[in-house]
Order: sequence, then structure tokens, then C-alpha cells
Amino acid sequence: MSFRRAWQDDSEVFRHRRARPVARWERWTLGVLIFLGLQSVALFAWWWFRAEHVANGVLFALLSFATWYGISRMVIGWYNAIHVEQPPIRPAPEGLRVAIFITSSPGEPYAMFERTLAAVREVRYPHTTYLLDDTRDPRFAALAAETGARHLELIGIPGAKAGKINAALARTTEELVLVLDPDHIPFPEFLDRVLGYFDDPGIGFVQVAQAYHNVRRSFVARAAAEQTFAFYGPVLQGMHGTGTAVAIGANCTFRRAALESIGGHGVGLAEDLVTAIRLHAAGWRSVYVPEVLARGLVPEDLDSFLRQQRKWARGVYEVLLREYPRAFRRLTNHQRLSYLMIATYYLVGLTSLVYLAIPLLYLLTGVQPAAMFLGEYIAHAAPVGFFGVINYRFAQRWLCDPERERGWHWRGTLLKIGSWSVYLQGLLLALGNVTVPYIPTAKERQTGNFGRLAAVPLTVVLLSVAAVVVSFVRRFWFLSEAEVRSTSGATAGMAGFAIANCLLMSGRLYAAWKDSDRHSARDGGTRSRSSSSAG
Amino acid sequence: MLFHAGADRFLRRGYAAVEDRLTRAGQQLSDAEGTAWEQTRGTSRREEVRAEYPRLDDRAWLAAPDRFLTGAFDGGLPGSFTGLSGLETALQHRFPLVSIYQAWGDREDEARFPSRAVETIDRLGSVPIITWEPWVKDFDATLRPNLPPVAEREYASLAAIAHGDYDFYIVPWATEAAKYGKPLFLRFAHEMNDPYRYPWGPQNGNRPEDFIAAWKHVHAVFRKMNATNVLWVWSPHISMPWFEYYYPGAEYVDWVGTGVLNYADVAPWSRWWTFRQIIEKAYPTLKGLAKPVMITELGTLTTGGNAAQWYADMFRDLNGEYGAVRAIVFFNQTEDVTLSTAPLNWSVLQSAGATAVTRRALQPPARTTRTAPS
Repeated sequence: MSFRRAWQDDSEVFRHRRARPVARWERWTLGVLIFLGLQSVALFAWWWFRAEHVANGVLFALLSFATWYGISRMVIGWYNAIHVEQPPIRPAPEGLRVAIFITSSPGEPYAMFERTLAAVREVRYPHTTYLLDDTRDPRFAALAAETGARHLELIGIPGAKAGKINAALARTTEELVLVLDPDHIPFPEFLDRVLGYFDDPGIGFVQVAQAYHNVRRSFVARAAAEQTFAFYGPVLQGMHGTGTAVAIGANCTFRRAALESIGGHGVGLAEDLVTAIRLHAAGWRSVYVPEVLARGLVPEDLDSFLRQQRKWARGVYEVLLREYPRAFRRLTNHQRLSYLMIATYYLVGLTSLVYLAIPLLYLLTGVQPAAMFLGEYIAHAAPVGFFGVINYRFAQRWLCDPERERGWHWRGTLLKIGSWSVYLQGLLLALGNVTVPYIPTAKERQTGNFGRLAAVPLTVVLLSVAAVVVSFVRRFWFLSEAEVRSTSGATAGMAGFAIANCLLMSGRLYAAWKDSDRHSARDGGTRSRSSSSAG
Repeated sequence: MLFHAGADRFLRRGYAAVEDRLTRAGQQLSDAEGTAWEQTRGTSRREEVRAEYPRLDDRAWLAAPDRFLTGAFDGGLPGSFTGLSGLETALQHRFPLVSIYQAWGDREDEARFPSRAVETIDRLGSVPIITWEPWVKDFDATLRPNLPPVAEREYASLAAIAHGDYDFYIVPWATEAAKYGKPLFLRFAHEMNDPYRYPWGPQNGNRPEDFIAAWKHVHAVFRKMNATNVLWVWSPHISMPWFEYYYPGAEYVDWVGTGVLNYADVAPWSRWWTFRQIIEKAYPTLKGLAKPVMITELGTLTTGGNAAQWYADMFRDLNGEYGAVRAIVFFNQTEDVTLSTAPLNWSVLQSAGATAVTRRALQPPARTTRTAPS
């Protein structure tokens, strides 16, 4: 089905969906694919780590780190994929006392709450809705009253969203608490699909898929959503299979006793992960329900997306540096591995820098990390890439909503690579222990100055092109024929990598261009940053 | 490991095919850039060399050239041609011969015929000399279960080569050499008579007859693979007596080679020896073989003597009594660590005097520098 058609009909989009069950032949096929993939990885490793490949020790170490960081994540991803498991459907027992927490902060659009609170009222299972409000906006109290929600005025409480949740926990008594993001519109069956799992007294929290309804609103929205599809599909199902499903994103239902056992909801930029790792360390187990039970908003503009990513990166490093060592001894081996993988996800900022810098360094100075024949490299790396893609595609059969989510996801990949600078920034901020203010992710499309939005990818492109030009000028006018003829292969390879790096910046550049004030003014329909801050 | 279970052989063949294609594409790309370079700069090293030595593509001429040939090895080769360029610039001379070294083995830079370097040398207009060293230890034991364990492999390795144990390596190499098709000097298992140097020496139970048998076997494989473009350089160490016992016979050899390196005062066994002092004892024997003689590694250190004088004397002697010497190959290695003490610098460029002497000696003969008619 075409992308446009798939997202056209709201009654199709706002509908409950569940990932397909795993057939035995599928697991076997996946096993064979992974086995073949492992062979290609082994062959690549056997070839890569040879003494004669080292041209410059430090650079070779950096390049090896970048390469094997990526490959090891892929292999661990395969290991996770083979554990894909879905919890059996369990009906919700009657008589549970359930609270739904929705937080509101200054600057968040009122209309969004109208829609969400109306939808929450339609959730079938009996529940009490609480609006955790610090907007000082009288309309919010009125809206709560109108939609049958209780209004909790929680002003001046530290710890942002998590602080408000903890304050609300102190004022309420329900045994189960669903923390719903205000941009997420729940479907009526939400609680019915989730509460059954709390029959098991060891279950501390139940996470559901995070899905979006504004995917087709912009390139950034689609790209950002693409980055999450696999995670809320096969990846979290695999984590469920290994007992490592985390609370992440939005729409997690907690057992009050579990939260109380760890002193309340965790605080931090990655508060969801902080809470999850503490609960797991305290011995609580988790369930992942691979179902679309609500749809929310994904950032539609580049600036909001990058802010969100920077915030997450910074928060996730906090988990790595502070929470992970504390929890380590009390986690299972699978949990140790899983949290390590999540907490090092944003190292991609560092490895991207290595990939971007190496061709520049060679073209400008002639220093190269590895003495490899390009042909050998391609011949050995191509099978690894092939199985990486094939396995990724195969696992897409367990996406929560394959019709809308399946694909090559090149937009998401491009935007992720293009965002390398904010991931790197997150690492530097974490290492420097610089705090980043907690700002809720923007819920409306913002625009900005193209030069500012595109500064990083433009710099990469200009540097790469300049390096290629400088290199060829040097070759044609300053080097001897013997030097030129003997290095044309390596130079062409490195120039190719430099150009490829430019192309990899195209996603972020395109997004920046679409979001620039001038372009949007022609487009209409979006608000510029200056006007939205007043709203 | 997994890939030893059989998929390896299959995959490797696939890899080889992919690699082949990429190598060819890479060469085409390199040729295109080289052509563009020549057009941009309005000069071509190939044309310069060929103007001086028009018959370098003629194997028969190379086996008995009517002109004295010069060549060079540079320590940066085959990876970097920068050193070679610098040497040529300093000496104002284009070498018709360029020398490289390749060890046998499974390492990437050993496993195949060095076509990239050879093609580059050819595009630059010169003829490659490959010193081909049977370092049998470099074959990966896991890939070569039929070979003896690494620790035992070097004992009587020449007999094993003669026996065909290493044909798995020699045959594809010879095939590639034949595919290259243009003349190519091959200096196989050099200094085979020196018990202090390489593992294929007599210290490892390699007798003269083993060497000869190995040589003949390798020669036969090359002929069978149609690698008749190869010129065979037999290259003993002439300071050891009775090196002639290692001579395989006139029909298997095109050139006789030997190194002439003056180690000066760096080792207890050496002192300042002139070119003449190094070669004079062995020269009658070398000349008696009735093949052109190549000084395959030529150089002097500079401590304890006058390098400029050393080269001046050498050129005088080459023009005089050592007429059988038809080629010299400068050993432009600035960091030779084979002696394991401090690295030795063999480059002629380290002495300004020696550089000037050599530059003058290598200028084209008077006939090419005739004055323009006025």
C-alpha cells in the first residue's frame, strides 16, 4: 500500500493493532539468516584484524572502534531478534483501581489537551484521570472538570514531569498508574489490553508500543518515526523474550507498589529509563505489549527533533554513568547487556565523527588509518551489510503495524547519521557534567534560520568538497607522476568516502531547507519560533 | 571456527571474483587519472624513459641489452613512490628498472602477484624487478593443513618447493605474471648460499642440489603457465665461496645478479670496501657464466670513508674492467633493519658529493646531448 493511502484514513490510523504472532518457520528462517550473517561477520573480523592492515596505530584503533561498535550492535540485535516473544493476551480482571496521569506544562497547546482528555474519557476500563498541571492557566482546570478528570495543581515542584508524577502519587491511592503523554491519544481498549498482566504480582510495569499519527506531516516526522518502528516492533519483543523490556517513550503502566519500592518515579532527562533500570534492579519484571493502543506526535521540524535527540542523548549517558554502575550487580545478564546497549546507542555521534574525519585527513595530509585494498574491504564488508539489511527487513514481519511501518527506512537512517553532532554534543555534555534543561518536546512545527539549522551538515559538505579539490590540485600540480599513479586507487576511495559523507548529510540538509523561514513562509501553515514562544 | 566448515572455500572464490573485477576497475581509474595528469602537465615519464630506452618491451633485447641499464629500489615501495621520485629528481635521471620485493605467504601483500605495483611501474615506462622470497613460514597453518607445522617448515624448504608442495602458491602467481605479459625480472630466492641470512639458506638443510631443483621446478611451472615474459635473475651472495655450485644452468637463467653493499665499519666482520674490493674475487666466475651481470642492490654507508669517492671509483671500474656488468640497481633504503643493530642508510642521497658524482655519471651519453647546429 502506498504511504499516502496508508495514512489517509484516520479511522484506519486510530485503530488498535497488534504485531503478528511468530510462526515456527519464521523463527527457523531467521535463525538461518542470522547463522549466515554471523559467518560473514566472522569472516570480516578474521580479515580486519591483521597486523599488516595497520598503517597508523591510533587511527586504526579509532576506525576499528567505529566499525566494530556498529557491527557488534548489529550482532547483539540479531541475538535479541531470535528471542522475539509476545505475551499471551490476558483479559483485564474486574475491579482494579487505575489512575491515568497526564502532565501539562506551560507552553503546551491547549487544543492538544482537549483532544487527549476527550479520548481518555472514552477509555473503557473504569479509571480515574488526573491532570498534573502547572500551567497556571485557568482553562486547564475547567477542561479537567469538563472531561471528568481530576485537576491537580502542582506548581513549583522540582524534577519536571517526574517530580509532578511523584507529587501526584502522594496524593492518590490507585494501585496501578498509567503515565500518558499529553500528545498521545489513547484508544478505548487501552487498559483492557494491559491490566491483565498485573495478575502476576512480580510484574512491575507494562509498556506498550509508541506510535504516531502525524507521520505524514513532514520529512522530519516521517524520518523520526522510521527510527522508532523497529524498536517498538521486533526489538522490544526480543527484549520481552529476554526479560529486559524497558519503560521507554510514553504510555507505561506502573504498579504503585513497584514505584514506591524504588522511592518513586525516577528523575532525569531519561526518566523512563532511570525508572526502568531501578525497577529491574529491585527485582520487578516487565511486560512489553506489542500493540498500538495510542497514537501521539513525533517532532515535525528539525529543530525540535534535534533538541529532543540532544536531550535523550544527554539523559541516556546519565543512565550509563550514574544508574548503570549502581544497578549492575542486581541485574540479570540479559539486563546488563540490554541496558548497556541502550546506554551506548548515542555513541554513534562519536563513530560518525571518526567516519567523517578519516577521508578528510587522508585527502589533506596523506595519513591513513589502514593499509587495506579497497576491493578486499568491499568484498569482505558487503556480505555483512547484506545480512544486516536482510535480517532487518525479515524482522519487519513483527512490526506492530506493518502496513504503515514496513520499509527501507532510509529517511530515518539519513536523519540519524545527519544528527551525529547532537549525539556527540550529548556525550560531551555528559562528560562535562553540564545540565540540560528539561523541556517537553515541541508539539508544533517550528521554523528557523536555514544557516543555523544547516550549519553542521553544510560544514561537513564544504569541508569534504574542499578536501577533494585540494587533494586533486595537489596531485595534478605538485606531485610526481609516479606518486599520482601509485596512489590513485586510495585517493579515489577516500574521495568517494568524502562524497558519500556529503550525501549522508542530505537528509538533515533537506530537513533544514524545508524548515527554513523563507521556505515555510511560502508553504504556509507553520509558525516561526518567534511567534510560537509567545503562545 | 564456522568458516572452516566448508563455506570458506566457496566464499573465498566469490570474493576472489569480486576482487578481480574491482582491481581491474581500479586500474582503469588509475590509468585515466594518469593520462589526465600527463595531459595537464604536458610530460610523461613513460615517454621520457622510452625515448632513452626504446626496446624495454622486448624481452630478447632485455636478455642481452646493448645499453647499460640502471634501476632503483626505494624503501617506500611498493606502497609509496615518493622516495623513488625524490631519487630521480635528485639524480636527474629516469630509471628504466624499478625493483620491488615480495615475500611468499598468505598475508594480503604476499598472497598474490603484485599486479598493482607492477602495472604502475609499467605505466611509468619502466620494467619491474621482483625479488621473490620464499618465506614459507608466512603461509597460514589453518589455511594450509597439508604443509608441515610452521616451526618445522623452514627445514629443507627448497626440497619441498622442488617437490611441488608450494605449487598452490606458485601456479596462480605464475598465471598472473603471464597475464601481465610484459617483460619482468624475477629474482627468486636470492643469496641462497649465505647461511647467515635467509631461511632458504644452507643452514636449514638446503643443499645446492635442492636449490637447483627448486629453481628448475619454479622455472618449469612458469613455462607451463606461459609466463615466458619473465627474465630469470640468479643472485647468489658472492662473498661466500663456491656460490657457483648453486647455478641452475644457462638455459634457466637470463641474468646473473649480486648485491654490492659496503657495510663500512658497522660490523666486526666488515671494513670500508670499495666496489672493486667487493666484486673482484668473484668477478671472473660471474663473467664465466656468460650472462649479463646485474648489481641488484648497490650502495655504501658513509661512515669511515668517502662515499663520493666510492661511487666515482665504481663508475670508473664499471666503464673499465667490469664490462660484464650491464645493470646497477640503487638500493635507496634509508632505514635498513636487517642487521638488527641501528638502521642503516644505503641511500646515495645522504652524501651530497656522492649524489653529484652519480648524477654526472648517469647523464645520457654525449650523442644525446650534442650541441644544436648553429
